[in-house]
Amino acid sequence: MEASNRADDFIPAGLASLGIEADEVDLAVMGAAHAMFWPPILELLELDTDGVDAEPAPDLSRAP
Amino acid sequence: MSALDLTLRGQATAIAAGEVDAAELLEEALERIAARNPAVNAVVETFPERSRQMLAEAPPGPLHGVPVVIKDEWPLPWRAQRFGAAQMFAKTAPEESGPYRALRDAGATIVGVGNMHELGASSTGNLSVYGPARNPWNTERCPGGSSSGPAAAVAARLVAGAVGADGIGSVRFPAAYCGLTGLKPTFGRAAMGGHHMAGVSTTIVSGPLCADAADCRLLGSVLFGESLKAGDAAGLRIGVVRDTVSEDVAPAVREACAEAIEALRAETGGEVREIELADLEAAALATVLIANTEAMAGLSPSRLNRLDPELSPIARGFAKYRMLLPAAATVKAQEVRALMRRRLASVFEDVDAIAWPTVPAVAPPLEAPLVELPSGTLTADQANVRGAGLANLTGIPAISVPVGLAEDLPVALQLQAAWGRDELLLDAAEALERANGRRWVESLAPPERQPETTGA
Repeated sequence: MEASNRADDFIPAGLASLGIEADEVDLAVMGAAHAMFWPPILELLELDTDGVDAEPAPDLSRAP
Repeated sequence: MSALDLTLRGQATAIAAGEVDAAELLEEALERIAARNPAVNAVVETFPERSRQMLAEAPPGPLHGVPVVIKDEWPLPWRAQRFGAAQMFAKTAPEESGPYRALRDAGATIVGVGNMHELGASSTGNLSVYGPARNPWNTERCPGGSSSGPAAAVAARLVAGAVGADGIGSVRFPAAYCGLTGLKPTFGRAAMGGHHMAGVSTTIVSGPLCADAADCRLLGSVLFGESLKAGDAAGLRIGVVRDTVSEDVAPAVREACAEAIEALRAETGGEVREIELADLEAAALATVLIANTEAMAGLSPSRLNRLDPELSPIARGFAKYRMLLPAAATVKAQEVRALMRRRLASVFEDVDAIAWPTVPAVAPPLEAPLVELPSGTLTADQANVRGAGLANLTGIPAISVPVGLAEDLPVALQLQAAWGRDELLLDAAEALERANGRRWVESLAPPERQPETTGA
């Protein structure tokens, strides 16, 4: 199934599953956020990071 | 010239030498805030009696008697932070934050609280529960965010130094828009205690905003709790990338930054090397995902159903949207963090600093923060995060340095270095100042252009 970046099904369903209420303004803001963030999130999820293990509790003050 | 127009170090030196009376300087700062602040809305609260008490009890120190502003992100013993918002998702209370203690112990006088973008959520500074701060260079333009007030306060010469915080560029963006020098320290190196996200954030640091690098060195030393010793950046190896961060940039910004990089190379007797640093856009998104996930601490569906109606529609909608972010993306973001940290460790074996524009265009209008780039029109936030997130994601230090003007607004170059090399960035910034005759650090929005005299 083709990935969807449409907000009109994903957002209401997601909110309903969490019991979060939203008015029209909330939905408009969320739709704009979704349009901005979702396509690059899908790209990120497809990014090849095979062989890259996340650092457990990285010390960000130092080089890895 | 008023002592308030001296540099931060100049004020400290003059007070120590008995040439300037600290009590008079404090009163003068309060008067200047009263006169100039209405036009820029940089300072959202003053507390003259608290400030006078701080001064009366100030120990000898590197900032003895020097007035400073602190961002509304840091609690004070008499005031909880409001984070620029009508409602926060974390519990807060008045307390001694790390930056407060550092300033107090250095003898500084906190003269006011600086405005900030609501919940720290934008690079523009155009939204705040207090109303937006305004850019002293042009009060219809964004001052940058989220440390909008600290930057506007220094650029308007209300004070010579201010403390901000940088979770995704929030010191560097306002420094760039307001023509200041702003340091994002190595993660964990600067005072962070008392921040409402100190226990969960892996991106936020406190940082100084000042007119130039020497002042950032002084205020940074106070925040670090150690002396940031000066070097000379001789033989600086400057890395540049051929990527969106350096190429999808307004032509005037690109030209000024290219000239600055060449000037820095010449001044340090160094060299410019082209480097490979792939997946920068993924790194920017990873930073946003991690920072927003960490900011969810304190959120719950029931809490989201009881949001303060005074919270902006953007903050309300985005808080709810955060709940829908897929966990797999955050896991992937952590993998990208590991990947970029390893790549940077390798890059920093070949270069000392990586240079690209802090922001790809000058400060946009407050009412419509959009920027025109070669690729088209973007929101300022979309464009700005590209070049800023990497330092927060990986923990490396970064500095924004003014390098020119375009449309009569400041242009800035960002330099990034390896972990713990904050001092090198300050050295490089000072070398750049020498190279251009301090032309840009001394082109702070000058007094004759300040709001009280322009009628803005």
